[in-house]
Amino acid sequence: MTIPLTASLRKFSLPLRILAAILGGWAFSWSFVACSTTVLVGLGMPFHDAETASLMLGLLAFLTVFLWAFATRSALRVATALPVGALLFHVVALLLQRQILSWGL
Amino acid sequence: MFANFRQSMAWLHTWFGLVLGYVLMSCFFFGALSVFDREIDRWALPETRFAPQPMPSFDKVLAPAFARLEADPADYALNMPAMHDPAKGPQTPRLSLPADEYWAYTTHRDPVLAIGAGFRVPLAKDPDGHNHIHGNATIDPRSGAAVPSDQLKIGSQWFYPMHYSLNWQWRNMGIFIVGLAGLVMLAALVTGVIMHRKFFREFFTFRPAKQTQRSLLDLHNLTGVVALPFHFFFAFTGLLIFAGFYYFPVSQFQLKPLHDQHEIIEARETGLPHARAGIPAPLASVDAMMAEARRRWAARDMAGEVGFLQLQHMGDANGYVSIYRAGSDRVALVGEAIHFKASTGEVLREEPPRAPVPALNEFLAGLHLQHFEHWLLRWLYVLGGLLGCVCIATGFIFFVEKRKQQHARSGLQGARVVDALAVGCVTGMIIAAIGILVANRLLPAGLTDKGAWEQQIFWGLWALSFVHAALRGAPVAQARINPAWREQCWTIAALALAAVALNAITTGDHLLKTLFLDPYLAVAGVDLSLLVCAGLAIAAALKLARRERHPVAMGAADPVEVANA
Repeated sequence: MTIPLTASLRKFSLPLRILAAILGGWAFSWSFVACSTTVLVGLGMPFHDAETASLMLGLLAFLTVFLWAFATRSALRVATALPVGALLFHVVALLLQRQILSWGL
Repeated sequence: MFANFRQSMAWLHTWFGLVLGYVLMSCFFFGALSVFDREIDRWALPETRFAPQPMPSFDKVLAPAFARLEADPADYALNMPAMHDPAKGPQTPRLSLPADEYWAYTTHRDPVLAIGAGFRVPLAKDPDGHNHIHGNATIDPRSGAAVPSDQLKIGSQWFYPMHYSLNWQWRNMGIFIVGLAGLVMLAALVTGVIMHRKFFREFFTFRPAKQTQRSLLDLHNLTGVVALPFHFFFAFTGLLIFAGFYYFPVSQFQLKPLHDQHEIIEARETGLPHARAGIPAPLASVDAMMAEARRRWAARDMAGEVGFLQLQHMGDANGYVSIYRAGSDRVALVGEAIHFKASTGEVLREEPPRAPVPALNEFLAGLHLQHFEHWLLRWLYVLGGLLGCVCIATGFIFFVEKRKQQHARSGLQGARVVDALAVGCVTGMIIAAIGILVANRLLPAGLTDKGAWEQQIFWGLWALSFVHAALRGAPVAQARINPAWREQCWTIAALALAAVALNAITTGDHLLKTLFLDPYLAVAGVDLSLLVCAGLAIAAALKLARRERHPVAMGAADPVEVANA
């Protein structure tokens, strides 16, 4: 017996949404903080100032995506958008960091 | 899944609020108690009931006290094997570790002084890393004598960490759960505002005489809305204080290379050595450095007490002494540091005014941690925290009231379970908090590891209150009131009165003495608060008894709004 994909998705939609909102939102805002820190350091801000400013923005970003995770229609969209966004921010942060380190002290 | 936006936000508010509300309740309540943590410490440790002291002389008091510090056995057992490199030689014994860092910290409310040392691991795997085994102590700054370490500072070592970590240290689980609760608090505030269309009217609406549901919802909205900025800022700044180290530790993970590069740049710019030179050097008079720091602050027209003293790279030519000003006259934390070369006492650096971002961060953290000297403001903080508790507790009760008729009709147990949990985390929490104070006065002073006993009694009483609430909860399943609410109110009243009486009997510091004859307001304040708490608990118990005898009609007054909530 096969359960249609859409039906099984609907059954798991709420747990999926909750998990994605908490863990996906965390990963997303963590990477956002990293990315924002490297951008600000790249613009010339001292590291700890950039980190602090990014932490403030990152907390607000977490709140925003957490609310969005429940406001948006599709749970599947939440479960894909947040990890993908996290990965993107993470990669940009690493690339920018390499660039800044290559400038030297 | 949700029919519309408002409904999705209402779902989030209700269910996340319910599940994490139990945690948030502890954060707000123990956070409110933490405003007076030092005063609760004085109540619990009668031998420390003397006036707050300034930072003592280093040369006469601190230096010998630092020399007596030992690396903490638990820290040594846990971290030494990880930091030590066996290929380089045998592990240095715990008591032979050389000190690398010393610090001392005090505020305008501290009679006793917290001090600590960071001991160096000589044969480290990563010699460039921060290899420290710590050892802390509390001393009487008048004599340098140690305060016994098995005595629990119930305010600053139990209630205070309770509000941000639930005193659950395993893998920092408590800090992460509180972090999630903090996020949910922010989300609950936003969704709460979205749910309620008549936002501003709720500032002025409280109808205590209406049906239970109506007055509950009024009170929930009123306490949520009146203190909305307070709730938002405390949840936000609390998260921010822990974000860099626990929630988003980017500087220890993906951005560690950038962070390490910055440390080297910073050391070069500030002239404060990042590492030891490896050349032994003596220590000049730290008292002279403290005097110079006070003189420089006075020249800048600032209140000048030393709040935080730190000695880095002890005994090394690169050693330096950092002296921070106590933040008793402003919101931001300790600051205006002046750094001295340890071997000569010359000024290495006087910190310039902060750039905007760190200044904002210090302000936000200071807003949460309140080092300032302003007693009225401190009491307003307590009020704000308690309003948060009322907001959360009325949320629980509203959840139950809204469902219990229907659950009673269809034989469901949901309302009963939620109600029992609410009893345990509202009145049960207060019982645990006052219970630990009573235990503190009843257990003999010489008892070995008295602090551990007190902690066990705290958890034991709290667990009992949950069991009691669950056992007495049957009436809720028939849409009536759980008598555990009333019974635990009586317990609170009895414990609070007992605590005040026991303090008077065992220490002789009764209210007449602490208020009038030989005023000591820290202890008087705790006693008076306990009496007020007893009074409120008795009033609540009597009111509950009336309600249990004559249940009022439980209809929904405003079906639209109640349905939305």
